Amino acid sequence: MTWSATARGAHQPDNTAFTQQRLPAWQPLLSASIALPLFFCAGLAFIGLGLGLYYSSNGIKELEYDYTGDLGTSNCSVCAAAGQGRSPPPRCSCAWYFSLPELFQGPVYLYYELTNFYQNYRRYGVSRDDEQLSGLPSALRHPANECAPYQLSAAGLPIAPCGAIANSLFNDSFSLWHQRRAGGPYVEVPLDRTGIAWWTDYHVKFRNPPLVNGSLALAFQGTAPPPNWHRPVYDLSTDPNNTGFINQDFVVWMRTAALPTFRKLYARIRQGNYSTGLPRGAYRVNITYNYPVRAFGGHKLIIFSSISWMGGKNPFLGIAYLVVGSLCILMGFVMLVVYIRYQDQNDEDEDEE
Amino acid sequence: MKKGHRDATLLDHEKKWDNLHFLTSPSDGGREGWGACGSERSEVNRDQKIERPCSFLCGPSEVEETMGWRQSLQRTDMSKARTIYLNEPLKNTFCKNSISTAKYSVWSFLPLYLYLQFSKAANAFFLFITILQQIPDVSPTGKYTTLLPLLVILTISGIKEVVEDHALLETAEMQTEKQLSSLSGKIECEGPNCHFNSFTGTLHLNGSSPVPVGPEQVLLRGTQLKNTEWILGIVVYTGLETKFMQNSVKSLLKRSSVEKVTNLQILVLFLLLLVMSLVSCVGGMLWKDKHGVDIWYIVKKEHNTHSFGFDILMFIILYHNLIPISLLVTLEIVKYIQALFINWDEDMHYKANNVYAMARTSNLNEELGQVKYLFSDKTGTLTCNIMTLKKCTIAGITYGDQSSRSDAGGRKLSQSQACSVTEAYEFNDPTLLRNLKNNHPTKACIKEFLTLLCVCHTVVPKRDGNNINYQASSPDEAALVKGAKKLGFVFTTRTPYSVTIEAMGEEFTFEILNVLEFSSFCAYVQAVKCVLFCVALPLFLKQCRLRTLCVAYIDLTEAEYQQWLVKYKEASTVVQDRTQSLEDCYDTIERKFLLLGATAIEDRLQARVPETITSLLKANIRIWVLTGDKQETAINIAYSCKLLSGQMPRIQLNTDSLEATQEVINQSCQDLGTLLGKENDLALIIDGKTLKHALHSEVKKNFLSLALSCRAVLCCRLSPLQKAEIVDLVKKHVRAITLAIGDGANDVGMIQTAHIGVGISGNEGMLATNNSDYAIAQFSYLEKLLLVHGAWNYFRVTKCILYCFYKNVVLYIIELWFAFMNGFSGQIIFDRWCISLYNLVFTSLPPFTLGICEQCCSQESLLRHPQLYTISQTGDTFNIKVSRRFSAGLSSRLLSEGPLDSMCKCFGPLLHSLLVAHKNAGACLILEDMVLQGGHTTDYLFLGNFIYTYVVVTVCLKAGLETLSWNKFSHLGIWGSIAMWLVFFAVYSFLWPTIPISPEMTGQVNMVLVCPYFWLGFFIVPFVCLIQNVMWKSIRNTCKRTLLEEVREMESSRIQELDLPRDSEKSPRTETANLQKSPSPQPCEVVFRNNSVDLGNPQGSAFSQVEQTGISQEELVRAYDTTKSMPVGTVPSALSKAVLE
Repeated sequence: MTWSATARGAHQPDNTAFTQQRLPAWQPLLSASIALPLFFCAGLAFIGLGLGLYYSSNGIKELEYDYTGDLGTSNCSVCAAAGQGRSPPPRCSCAWYFSLPELFQGPVYLYYELTNFYQNYRRYGVSRDDEQLSGLPSALRHPANECAPYQLSAAGLPIAPCGAIANSLFNDSFSLWHQRRAGGPYVEVPLDRTGIAWWTDYHVKFRNPPLVNGSLALAFQGTAPPPNWHRPVYDLSTDPNNTGFINQDFVVWMRTAALPTFRKLYARIRQGNYSTGLPRGAYRVNITYNYPVRAFGGHKLIIFSSISWMGGKNPFLGIAYLVVGSLCILMGFVMLVVYIRYQDQNDEDEDEE
Repeated sequence: MKKGHRDATLLDHEKKWDNLHFLTSPSDGGREGWGACGSERSEVNRDQKIERPCSFLCGPSEVEETMGWRQSLQRTDMSKARTIYLNEPLKNTFCKNSISTAKYSVWSFLPLYLYLQFSKAANAFFLFITILQQIPDVSPTGKYTTLLPLLVILTISGIKEVVEDHALLETAEMQTEKQLSSLSGKIECEGPNCHFNSFTGTLHLNGSSPVPVGPEQVLLRGTQLKNTEWILGIVVYTGLETKFMQNSVKSLLKRSSVEKVTNLQILVLFLLLLVMSLVSCVGGMLWKDKHGVDIWYIVKKEHNTHSFGFDILMFIILYHNLIPISLLVTLEIVKYIQALFINWDEDMHYKANNVYAMARTSNLNEELGQVKYLFSDKTGTLTCNIMTLKKCTIAGITYGDQSSRSDAGGRKLSQSQACSVTEAYEFNDPTLLRNLKNNHPTKACIKEFLTLLCVCHTVVPKRDGNNINYQASSPDEAALVKGAKKLGFVFTTRTPYSVTIEAMGEEFTFEILNVLEFSSFCAYVQAVKCVLFCVALPLFLKQCRLRTLCVAYIDLTEAEYQQWLVKYKEASTVVQDRTQSLEDCYDTIERKFLLLGATAIEDRLQARVPETITSLLKANIRIWVLTGDKQETAINIAYSCKLLSGQMPRIQLNTDSLEATQEVINQSCQDLGTLLGKENDLALIIDGKTLKHALHSEVKKNFLSLALSCRAVLCCRLSPLQKAEIVDLVKKHVRAITLAIGDGANDVGMIQTAHIGVGISGNEGMLATNNSDYAIAQFSYLEKLLLVHGAWNYFRVTKCILYCFYKNVVLYIIELWFAFMNGFSGQIIFDRWCISLYNLVFTSLPPFTLGICEQCCSQESLLRHPQLYTISQTGDTFNIKVSRRFSAGLSSRLLSEGPLDSMCKCFGPLLHSLLVAHKNAGACLILEDMVLQGGHTTDYLFLGNFIYTYVVVTVCLKAGLETLSWNKFSHLGIWGSIAMWLVFFAVYSFLWPTIPISPEMTGQVNMVLVCPYFWLGFFIVPFVCLIQNVMWKSIRNTCKRTLLEEVREMESSRIQELDLPRDSEKSPRTETANLQKSPSPQPCEVVFRNNSVDLGNPQGSAFSQVEQTGISQEELVRAYDTTKSMPVGTVPSALSKAVLE
């Protein structure tokens, strides 16, 4: 860059503190004496918080069960063995029995967890059409190219919902039964399957296409369901507010997880007698075993979990706080040693002078 | 040709032509009007003082290097002779005179600008990425996420170019008068070329014989008339063909070393990018081998369709943001503003002629903080180049010996007055006048003395009302005449053959018989009325460091004179060895002089030169004075500006032959022994003749090591080329930044050669300024320019660069970590627009605050403790050596200042950014199956937003940690950036589906900001990332303080008077461990056997005379006639009115 010689002195701005670089400034100078209290205070604060986090995380109960059945240990191994291929026989069901010696403090949430499932794989993650899912009729008829090869069916019909994510929708289902007395009958525990998706997803991001003659089925006429689906999207549920693209299971599934091990909310247990939690007694979870995971070495888990003020169970955060806090204290002591040693020497120097 | 017409041909019909080359009349023209102009010859040269700017002459123009110009230069250099026909415009078809030094025109802007931008490697890289992104399915980040920032950056850069380019258009007007219709003929001359000092042409006027025209008759573009208001001239070159423009192609674009390191670092980052891409590719292949076949939910066909090449392109796109896209434009703007700060600085504002300092380039701002060798011109740079009569001695009595008093007074003068001639500085001794009036025994001598001062010179008087101004080619002569005038001996009129003076009320006229040339040894003599007055060269006025002259005279009889005159005429017509025979002839008459006395003239140092030099020496800058002046003068000046001190041993090299030079240099080197190569309290003095031999390839190395072992080096009697050669020698063989400062045309070479060229914009014209990188009005401003602006800029630029690297690595390395979790599929964890706006918006401010507002300590402290300069001078925090080791794009001062070894210097930021990334990756694990309060589960972008926020916070806080001085802009930049991201995040989460971008972001903010995990991480992640930084800084500031920390502590505790250990540090442990070694030179205990070492007192004298004038003094004297006013006629007055308008 070159300036012209003639521009010299011309257009000089007023002499302000800025142009003369004399703006008032704060000049912090870190030193041991300043850092010492910082380290100790931060250390104590972190340890305190860490303890709190650790205990509140420990207070969260979790009950989980791996029902993949690949080791032949559970009664789901029959289904697992049957479902070696990609299309397990429908109607394979198995069950998980467990008993609670005491109240499982509520509210209780029911999750399923998949491991070794790469929802974050790029080709998988991009294989969706958000315009279609937001109910845009044009996108319904012409799914985005990213959906390929789940863009058009073999018959050439547009797939709705298109893409690999939708195609691989988790399709196991669970029901929970409670036996209050030993030998007594199992009573079905009501599972609240609504409100499991993000509010914005259910209300904003996912919309069904406009109804045709009041019928959702007609709206989806001329489209094909994804190849792996057994029923069309408008039949996902009988509840008109939970079918089509706004089926909450579907919406939850479409939020792709960050890591290859992830859990997704299946249901909330908060109705009737179970609003305070699961009372003690024996339980049975009936599992409809459809989803094949053994092919890629994955596992399926079913999890009951309670929730604290900070969310789900996460002991690691508390531990992290404790570790960081302890390190701070440790560093504080190092600083203290440094401070005392050099303070002395400085004093000596001054004395010598 | 009639008097009263002011202009020659070619001018009238092309009013807009300007800046022409004039031919002044040949000196033997003998016509009225020409005579007046003839006097210009010695005055008007390209380094002309601007006394009366004439309207048709223009100030020097500025120059921009463009490719087109270079071509035109080469082309025209070759071109053949041209013929110019007077008064026949149609026959003359040459280029227009308008000059546009602008880089761009309206039409060429876009293509040229784009070409220039994309010839920068970084921009070309991003263009390449943009193109790659258009390949379907390859880009993980969408098609336009790189295009947008690139466009924004090109736009900003383009606006800057336009703003800069705007000023470069020159449309000066030349006011011309009537054409001389009576004149006809032609001029044949050489074609346009770049040689200032040569011109050959012939003027053929119809009806008269051809007249040769030489360089003395040519006025160059940019010349300003001084002693006359108008001239007659003929245009020979116009526009781009003028010699000035042919010369004004700036040499190579200077690049700073920091810039070079930065380019290297970008390259290293690029390699890192390639490595990361390769690793990811291999990882992807391994992953596919392990999982690929079985993963039914992932689109099967993908596994085989995409090749390795496809994958690597994908990963390059994924990681390409490692290279900071905004770095170049950030740096450009930062440096632009830094340069503005230099331009605006009131401390470098020379109020006497309202000249501000000027940064003509902003490329070298940070290099100002690294200067190790300073090459300074003497006259006009260290001194004012204004001579004043200071003392004289007449018949043994010394007058004006009040130097101590006036000096003391003078020191106190403010800078602005420093170089203007004030009464306080002029000769003022009442005793002299008293002796003259009171019939003191020496009265006759005094009278003779003053008369002689009045008469013997080549000065031309110029009446301006009642005042008489003196114009002289030698400032010394003017000083003498002015001195005499003050004592009542007023030189009033000069005619070609006589001189009239007014002495004590009476008028005397002296006839000038002959003018004997002044040569450097024997002085200048005029025979006047058979009295041979002689101003002879000097004896020594001991210790006074003034330029001295002896004044003597001899009475000659008529017969003696006639006898001599015959000899003189013979001698002056000898063809061979004319000079020698003339000198012999002078010798015959210059005898038996009666010594009247002596004068002492002072070429005053500019204000604060000794202080500045002392300060620069303390800053461990070695100062070499390179002057064309005499050795004695140079030594004198060196003493008075404290470059040399009385006890300092001097090695003087004055030899005639290569062998002798070699011998004496080797001898000196041996004498130094082990001290060779270290800095010793020695001075080396060498003259141009010896230097010629010393620069011989065999001797060069020893000479250089000898010179580098001396604290001060004085090179005298140098040609401009030699000056440049010395600078080049040091520049090539020493890894240090060199700075050359000068004011005259003879300094241009070294100004262009040195890393940084500084021009003194003052008396000697604009050539030095126009070739410099920085222009200042006073030498003393160098102190502020280097110690404050230089040091600051160095800190700022390096911090800014390293910070840009740092922040990019921190964010984008996370993608690599994430790749390990997603099967190396190229999935991004952040939203694509967040990625592309990271550099452009959310972290764009901290680099600016670091680059513009950062101050390591206050201006006052930097000036008070020049030792602080060595921090930036050594620059080991940011140099090639460091970056070579880990070739660190990331070599850095960010972590490096202090006790950490160079390993940390190199790896620091990388480690740090990896650590931050790792901690964030850790956060991934921590929050593995993150469940919200409502029991909701989350997605990848939720985690991405966590991490992104933490990165923005960490990176901004890191900037805060590196900011040593927080002003309001720092606060704005750091807190503002964090706030900006949060606001953007909030808005961005609500765009879909109204604005169809980023559906994934929908509702993120509602979920993220209410998530307790987010806030828990918000406090711990940046804390953990930065805590070890805080610890290192604290420990270092406590145990291993440098001077900088001491100073900063003093500042913050508001202790005004810093009583800091300077040269002898109180304890090596506490501070300046790394500063100490340099500034204090080692005591020198060498015994010099060599007789070249001179320990004596400085003595010397000199008398300046304009060298290389094309004409003799006799001619000069004969040419003037001040009794005649400017050519008679009515036009001049009208003209001057026109000029006034």
